Amino acid sequence: MSSEKKEIRIVNHIYQPKHEILSKDEAELVFKKFNSKPSQFPYIMSSDKGIQGLDALPGDVIKITRKSSTAGESVYYRYVVEG
Amino acid sequence: MNDESIKILDGIRFSIWSPVEVRKFSVTEVTAPETYDEDGMPVQGGLMDNRLGTLEPGQKCATCGNTSARCPGHFGHIELAEPVLHIAFIDDIHKLLLITCRSCNRIKLASEDLEKYKKLRDSKAAYAVITLENVKDEIIEKAKKVKVCPHCQKEQYDLIFTKPTIFVEKTDVGENRLLPITIRERLLNVSNDDLILLGYDPKTARPEWFILQVLPVPPVTVRPSIILETGIRSEDDLTHKLVDIIRVNQRLKESKEAGTPPLIVQDLVDLLQYHVTTYFDNEVSGIPQAHHRSGRPLKTITQRLKGKEGRFRGSLSGKRVDFSSRTVISPDPNLTISDVGVPTDVAKKLTIPETVSTWNMEKLKGLVLNGPNNYPGANYIIRPDGVKIRLDYVTDRAAIADSLMNGYTVERHLMDGDVVIFNRQPSLHRMSIMAHNVRVLPYRTFRLHPAVCPPYNADFDGDEMNLHVPQSQEARAEAALLMKVQDQLISPRYGGPIIGGIRDFITGAFLLTKDETLLTADEISNFAYLGGYNGPLPDPQIEKDGKKFYTGKQLFSLFLPKDFNFVITSKWNKASKLQGKDVVIKNGQLISGVIDKASIGAEEPDSVLHRIAKDYGNDEAKKFLDAILIMLKTYITHKGFSYGYSDLWLSEETRNEISEVIEKTYNKIGELIKQYHDGTLPLTRGLSPEEALELYVVNELSRARDRAGKIADRSFPDDNSGVIMASTGARGSTLNIGQMTAALGQQSIRGKRIIKGYRNRALPHFRPGDQNPDSKGFVKSNYRDGLSPIEFFFHAMGGREGLVDTAVRTQQSGYMQRRLINALEHLKIEYDLTVRDPHGNIVQYVYGDDGIDPAKSDHGDAVNIIRLVESESVVDEGVKTTETEMKEMLQKFKEKMNPKLGSELESALITYPLSKSGIKKVIHKIMDLFERAMVEPGEAAGVVTAQSIGEPGTQMTLRTFHFAGVKERNVTLGLPRLIELVDARKKPVTPTMDIYLDEDHKSSREKALEVAKRIIFTRISDLTSKVDTDYAGNLSFYFSDKKIADRGTSIQEIHEVLKSSKKRYEVTVNDELLLVKISLSQEPDAQTLLTLRNKLLNARVKGVPDIERVTIVKQNDEWVIQTAGSNLAKVVLVEGIDVDRITTNNVFEIWQTLGIEAARTALVKEITNTLEEQGLEVDIRHIMLVADLMTSKGYLQQIGRHGIAGTKTSVLARAAFEITVPTIARAALEGQVEPLKGVTENVIVGATVPVGTGMIDLYMSVKE
Repeated sequence: MSSEKKEIRIVNHIYQPKHEILSKDEAELVFKKFNSKPSQFPYIMSSDKGIQGLDALPGDVIKITRKSSTAGESVYYRYVVEG
Repeated sequence: MNDESIKILDGIRFSIWSPVEVRKFSVTEVTAPETYDEDGMPVQGGLMDNRLGTLEPGQKCATCGNTSARCPGHFGHIELAEPVLHIAFIDDIHKLLLITCRSCNRIKLASEDLEKYKKLRDSKAAYAVITLENVKDEIIEKAKKVKVCPHCQKEQYDLIFTKPTIFVEKTDVGENRLLPITIRERLLNVSNDDLILLGYDPKTARPEWFILQVLPVPPVTVRPSIILETGIRSEDDLTHKLVDIIRVNQRLKESKEAGTPPLIVQDLVDLLQYHVTTYFDNEVSGIPQAHHRSGRPLKTITQRLKGKEGRFRGSLSGKRVDFSSRTVISPDPNLTISDVGVPTDVAKKLTIPETVSTWNMEKLKGLVLNGPNNYPGANYIIRPDGVKIRLDYVTDRAAIADSLMNGYTVERHLMDGDVVIFNRQPSLHRMSIMAHNVRVLPYRTFRLHPAVCPPYNADFDGDEMNLHVPQSQEARAEAALLMKVQDQLISPRYGGPIIGGIRDFITGAFLLTKDETLLTADEISNFAYLGGYNGPLPDPQIEKDGKKFYTGKQLFSLFLPKDFNFVITSKWNKASKLQGKDVVIKNGQLISGVIDKASIGAEEPDSVLHRIAKDYGNDEAKKFLDAILIMLKTYITHKGFSYGYSDLWLSEETRNEISEVIEKTYNKIGELIKQYHDGTLPLTRGLSPEEALELYVVNELSRARDRAGKIADRSFPDDNSGVIMASTGARGSTLNIGQMTAALGQQSIRGKRIIKGYRNRALPHFRPGDQNPDSKGFVKSNYRDGLSPIEFFFHAMGGREGLVDTAVRTQQSGYMQRRLINALEHLKIEYDLTVRDPHGNIVQYVYGDDGIDPAKSDHGDAVNIIRLVESESVVDEGVKTTETEMKEMLQKFKEKMNPKLGSELESALITYPLSKSGIKKVIHKIMDLFERAMVEPGEAAGVVTAQSIGEPGTQMTLRTFHFAGVKERNVTLGLPRLIELVDARKKPVTPTMDIYLDEDHKSSREKALEVAKRIIFTRISDLTSKVDTDYAGNLSFYFSDKKIADRGTSIQEIHEVLKSSKKRYEVTVNDELLLVKISLSQEPDAQTLLTLRNKLLNARVKGVPDIERVTIVKQNDEWVIQTAGSNLAKVVLVEGIDVDRITTNNVFEIWQTLGIEAARTALVKEITNTLEEQGLEVDIRHIMLVADLMTSKGYLQQIGRHGIAGTKTSVLARAAFEITVPTIARAALEGQVEPLKGVTENVIVGATVPVGTGMIDLYMSVKE
């Protein structure tokens, strides 16, 4: 009983905002918009539970749509890094 | 003056001096241990050699020829007879010895492996950041285990490192000490490529330089000798240490030449090593400290740099300044809120440089004539050629006054209206330092208006404050434009006024504006004049006995803006009548209600004062405040207001009523105690009888105190001074009145009744184990009648805990504040409104999601839309739009603005429909106000955030535990919880979960219980009633059927658990007796048997590990399981729970199981809850910034040395924060460059900080 090691994927938890991968072109636009190098963006690790099932690879950009109590809704980007 | 704005330093590269460099920079070898000869002249080749620099003003440096003012000092050197290890690099020496081959000196990893790491390092993919960080550790981990060198196939020996400086190699022949000289040989051959792999920069730090062959001698300016009053020369600690080194070095050299036995030479080498080690660091563990002759430990290089009083924090991050003063403060309500009263004595010492021009020539001549001792005068004249004339020494001031010409500078005394900076420590937020206008006044204290006490957190029980005088036009302009008191009315912490009426101003406002107050024409004229009113008087509203009277409300209304409309509930109304919205202001007239703290109080958002500040601007608000405060002060002074012993008097009946209440409670408690002894006390789930009794008693007692207080409170008339003060919010609370007149109530220590002192009793006056309220610190007396000696003692016990608590808390919150500031100080708003660190790393894409500055917001919102629409609807005259029309009109608005504003406006317009033009007007106004509330680029958003979270920390309780929700659940709250959160701990002190259930299980208690049984962690020991140990080799576990049923398991299940797979023993079950018998095949010794017994008792039967207690509670029509202990990853797998709503207070677990974004959400939530629970208001934007920063690297980073502050790019910022010396050593090894982009770094090097007004620079887009 104790040896079982299953894991379930939780993707709809109330704490988890919507994660989606940006296409290369979209990502490029984001880099341009903020006039920054990828390394200057906030990171998310490729092993992060929030992006399991998205098949995100290091180098991708994740667009996160959060609920916000100040703006109603806000968008955050994270750069996928190894780890 | 021109060169001031130029940035002198571009950066600082750290490196290690090689022996070659040391010799190159040296002006002389130092060989003589003597410093001065008999004549007091420095010895040539000694430590005070005049080639090393000069100390006395008259001397000239023998190297550069400058006098002491201009000579920077020059290094010398000591040639060491034997090499010694440098203590700062000892760990690196150790690591290098461990991972390199002892014969070929390459890293003990196969060439292919090294090549692989090299490639990884060179690839420099942006997404490989975390992998790259680990390369070094990985190499070290792997290489140190290698026993045979893959390059030269030589066998490697074990290395034993005895701290601090001894290395021994364990060879086949025996232990062999590695001398520095051998170590140096080995390190010398380590290749540059290998070093680069390990993160070293061989250009700045070759490992052989870690071993000192030659020691640099710092210039005398670094270690000046001082001459005591007795005329005796006293040398600096470093000089003493260098003398020791030279002496031993000399002896060593001589013994080596004389061919002394190696053992003795070795002793001398060790002694030299000791002296050199303590010269660098006198706090190395493992060796004795070097002491001064007096017994005081020497302060050597590390000690000079380290800690609060060290070079970094003591002399570089914070410096002593001129043009400042400090004295006791006292209140002066006759000043305006932006004034500061400065004593003439101080005004005569603090000066402002004023350049002489045609327009101020006469004025300055007059001041010069008055000289330094007559106020107003001047202290210095500076001629354009730079010569400074001190007027103290000028006999003929008339002559010198006549010599004044355009271009001269006169340092004149401080005068009325000058802008100065006023500060009270601890400076916890930006309102602790504000700009005031000088009022030069007699006597010896600084005076300030009582209304500015809240931002400074000042009172007048002996507080002192500091005053600084800006000297340049720029500084003055900045102070006047950004730091004025009226511009700090609104706190950035919660977007409400922090300055406002306090104490008697509130009482005065109540007395003036209550319905009964009547004023004659004379009175109202006087008060109106006092407030600076100069318009026409209104008509008197009241006629009484044929005479006409004005109301207090009329007087107050004179100072309100004429078009001001507002409705709120006064504190007084809420407290005494329990009705809402009594204060009505219409077109600047106070129609009804009383003005009290809710309207004009400090730290009171959404008040009249707040509205005036928001709608009419800060200057108008200041005018309003100044006017009403002086008027209220005079009014209450004239009317008179006092509170004394007689105001606390209660009638006989009331007293009896109070004693009756207490007596009844005592009886009830007696009953409970009896029930407890009889065992008939009803138990709440999860509590032992003792705990249950305690809980009941405490509840009963606190209810008794409240009831007694209420009785007392009720018996006082509404015009009782105490009641007025408590209900208007001026001072005190009904609790205080209750304590003074009814009963003090339960005294507590650590949130419990007082139990400590003697065994099972608090004092020897009681019987052991007495549960009586009296014997456990319940005080039924009140302050008016006085306490009995025993009560007094209990009260003192509780009082002491309060004092200790405050002392501990200030320390803890101070440190948290320092860490927060350090982690966030470099974050600022960029021109594109992103929040970034100085290297352009993004933390937020839009500050606070909406780009609104809390300090310019309206209690957190950009615009108060409802209020705007409501007031527009009053004047709006056109045809109201239909809902569809309105929605159509809003379409464009919604596209432009954020979703929240859109939906807010829509719902407001549904409640208050407007015409088309009205909607247009409102939209315009919203856009305008929104624009105005936006943050400005350059704003130090990080610092404001750190202050806004750190400052309330001081006000939080330290009381760790508190019941949350259910009585059985203890949760850490207050300051410890906040610290825990910003620490990003792996496990909170009290982990807990809220487990929501799925559709099938949430509606019935039984179903919920079923799930709870699956979750709670159950061991064998939780089920047994008795365990018999037979030392012949038998263990008998007797189980309780009640316990088994409670946990929802069965004897079969238990049997399964106890059945061992290894079959070291037999297991037999007796189903009827609920007995499981374990018999070992051979007779074991007692030790093994007991170990086995404990192991079996601890075996898991079912449930989720770490979940220690579960409680089922009903929340909004569904059953929820609350637990003590948390294990998100495992609980999620349990059947019957709602995976999508389950929460835990362990943020780390949330990150691990739900990801970094979920962790951010959880952080925001947890911090918000912690602050809210303490009743502290902090704008959500601050909390979001902290959470975003902590999660910006994809993993949880701590606010502190292991997290954000420790991973800063700036070497100086890290060194100034905590681990000073190792940080600098590391920087040298890796050849790090200090880019000087952040805040502390620039403070340290004396440059302008690149934040706010210091951010101006040339921004240019470079062609791609």
